[in-house]
Amino acid sequence: MNELEKLKKELKEIIVRDLKLVDVKPEEINDTDPLFGEGLGLDSLDAVELVVIIQKNFGVQIIDMEEGRKAFESIETLAKFILERQKENS
Amino acid sequence: MAKIKKTDRLKKIIKKRLHALGHWIFYVTMSLFGHTGAYLLLWPVVGSYVICSRKIHNITQTYLRKRFPNKKVYWFDTFKLVHSFSQVLVDRAWLGLNPKAQFNGRLEGLETLIKLINQKKGLIILTAHVGIWQVAFSHLPDLRVPVNVLMHYEEENAAKHYFDLRNQPCPFHIIRNDGFMGGLVEASIALSKGEIVTIMADRYVQGPYAKVKFLGYNTRVPIGAYVLAAITSTPVVVILTAKTGKKDYLVKIWDVFYPKCKNRNQKEQEVQKYAQKFVNALEEYLKVYPYQWYNFYDFWSQ
Repeated sequence: MNELEKLKKELKEIIVRDLKLVDVKPEEINDTDPLFGEGLGLDSLDAVELVVIIQKNFGVQIIDMEEGRKAFESIETLAKFILERQKENS
Repeated sequence: MAKIKKTDRLKKIIKKRLHALGHWIFYVTMSLFGHTGAYLLLWPVVGSYVICSRKIHNITQTYLRKRFPNKKVYWFDTFKLVHSFSQVLVDRAWLGLNPKAQFNGRLEGLETLIKLINQKKGLIILTAHVGIWQVAFSHLPDLRVPVNVLMHYEEENAAKHYFDLRNQPCPFHIIRNDGFMGGLVEASIALSKGEIVTIMADRYVQGPYAKVKFLGYNTRVPIGAYVLAAITSTPVVVILTAKTGKKDYLVKIWDVFYPKCKNRNQKEQEVQKYAQKFVNALEEYLKVYPYQWYNFYDFWSQ
């Protein structure tokens, strides 16, 4: 499993655990499903928690709204964003 | 049907033109006779409006009867409320037209504010549509951190217009609450950088809400701010402004609290008490400044 796949798996587990999603299992989340609205069904308050979760678990801070909007599209985009940021920081 | 539509359109056009004419008269008066001239003009304008319009009485009665439960509310109370609001509009226009003009502002609780900012945890300022909030918040002393204001689209336009008139850059960054995730993600990003986010916490439009008791009656207020504070571990300060003289205003801290929610799945229930704290602060404010309440609709049916 490459780095991106590993991160996507980890992200799904963290989201289900930390956002306490009931009736959703990490393996049921598709990589390209929208995180908000239809798809995983997260709301604006979940989005705020996600900002904090990403910072706490991956040391990545979202500092610009535009990048946040793109990153929050799906698990795929979020994982790519985190990887890019971690590479820039190292 | 077509005739009714035509009449409605005509009515709208006339209303719009009259509105523009009213603005023009006030701007001309201000240019010729200054701030005092515009204040004097308010007496006949507001007076005739209050005498002729039954609608304005119906709108203000919902508040006035609750604020003064033990006294009869007269038309003069409506006049005082509308007159006070009109003065704020004149002040705003006056400052907009005269970039060098200054009002005397007093900030009660500046030390507390600085202390909270220095914690570098970010700060949520809650305020309401009372007093002279637009002018006061535009002229806050340099707090050495960026200030963001989460606001509605129309208010955003009004704020931009105000600074366009003054030919000055807007001293705060506007986060639109009809933007991505209601602006809450952008607000949380700002807080994580230790910045200030100001939120109008009185008007409820949509989304999660708390049921609170305000002036003895139940109403709903939004709770996004408290959940945001709880999630990001940010302190909340209630700041309300008041017009205290012709060119004087007061900016005062009415309460400080630290919203927390232990159970994530019940966060909306857990933050209800903070919404009540905000509303209590608002009640305290209205005990001192009863005629500076500018929510001209039935606040208890929102």
